[in-house]
Amino acid sequence: MSILLAMVLLLAALAGAGVVLTRDPRSQVFALAANGTVLTLLFFALQAPDVALSELAVGTAATPLLFLVTLAAVRINRQRR
Amino acid sequence: MTPRLRIGLLGLAGLCLLPAIWKVAAALPPFGEPTAQYGPAVNRLGPELRHVSNMVSAVNFDFRGFDTLGEEFMLVCAVTGAAMLLRGARGEDLSARAGRVEGRAVIGRAESTILISRLFGPATLLFGLYMALHATVTPGGGFQGGVVIASGLLLTYLGEGYRGWRQLIGSRVLDAIEGGGALLFALAGFAPMAFGRAYMQNILPLGTFKDVFSGGLMLVENAGVALAVTGGFAMLFLEFMEETRALESESGG
Repeated sequence: MSILLAMVLLLAALAGAGVVLTRDPRSQVFALAANGTVLTLLFFALQAPDVALSELAVGTAATPLLFLVTLAAVRINRQRR
Repeated sequence: MTPRLRIGLLGLAGLCLLPAIWKVAAALPPFGEPTAQYGPAVNRLGPELRHVSNMVSAVNFDFRGFDTLGEEFMLVCAVTGAAMLLRGARGEDLSARAGRVEGRAVIGRAESTILISRLFGPATLLFGLYMALHATVTPGGGFQGGVVIASGLLLTYLGEGYRGWRQLIGSRVLDAIEGGGALLFALAGFAPMAFGRAYMQNILPLGTFKDVFSGGLMLVENAGVALAVTGGFAMLFLEFMEETRALESESGG
C-alpha cells in the first residue's frame, strides 16, 4: 500500500468520525460534504474514476443540498405553529 | 441503561467477537490483490468483443445491462415517489416568496457568488454533457454525466436566483426527460427482440475502438440513462427547492 493511499484512508477515517461527532445538524451537512470529497479522493487513488465521479456529484452536491433544504423547510415550518 | 454500562457492554461484545474478526481478517487476500476472476476477464475480452475502452460502461450497459435496467427503474420510482409527496402546496408559482425565519436577516447573493456561478455553471453543464457522450471511451457515463449536469443546474440557481432558475428549467420538461429516458432504455432492450434476437443483445454495429460512436446498442442505453438521471435529479432538486418557499396562502399577492 502506497503512502498516498494510507494517508487518504486515514483522512477518510477522520472525515467519517467528523460527521458522527458533529452535533449541530447544519454543520453536519458540511461535514458530510467534506467526507464525500475525501471519499472521492480515495476512490480516485484506488483507480476507480467512474465511482469517484459519482461520489463527487452525489456525495458533495446532491445529498448535502437535499439535507440543507430539508433543514431550512423544517425551520420555516416550525415557526408557523 | 446508563451510558457507562452501554460502553461496557460494547467493549465486552467487541472482545467476544475479536477472535472471529481476527481469523477472518488474517484469511483475506492481501490489499490490492483481488482474487475475483470477473474483472480481469472483462478487461481481457471486452475491447475485442465490444470495441469499447471503458469496461465499466461495457459491464453496465452490455454484459450486465439487465441489472442496470432494474437500477434505472428503481431511480425512476424513487424520484417519482419524492415528487408525488412534495409536489403541490407551495413553490409552484414562479414568483413565490422565499420562506423566512423570524428575526433572521435575509442576505442577498454576493456579486462574487454570481460571477463564479455564471463562470462555472455553463462549464459544468458542458463537462456533464461531454462525460455522458463519451461513456464508452473515457471514465464516466450516463449516470455520472447526468448528476454532473444536475449539479451544474444548481450552480445556475446560485447564479440566477430562484425565479430566473425556475424560468429556465420547466417541471414538465424534466418529467418528459426522466420518463422518456427510462422508456428509451427499456425499448433499446426490446428492439433486438423484433429481429428474433435475445433481449438487449447488442445488434448495432460496434464501431471502432476508442471512437465516440463505439459500443453499438450501449450508446442508446447510455443516452437513456443520461436523460433519466438528468431529469430525475433535476426534478428532485426542483421539488426540494420549492419547499423553501412560503406557502401560497401566506405569500398571497
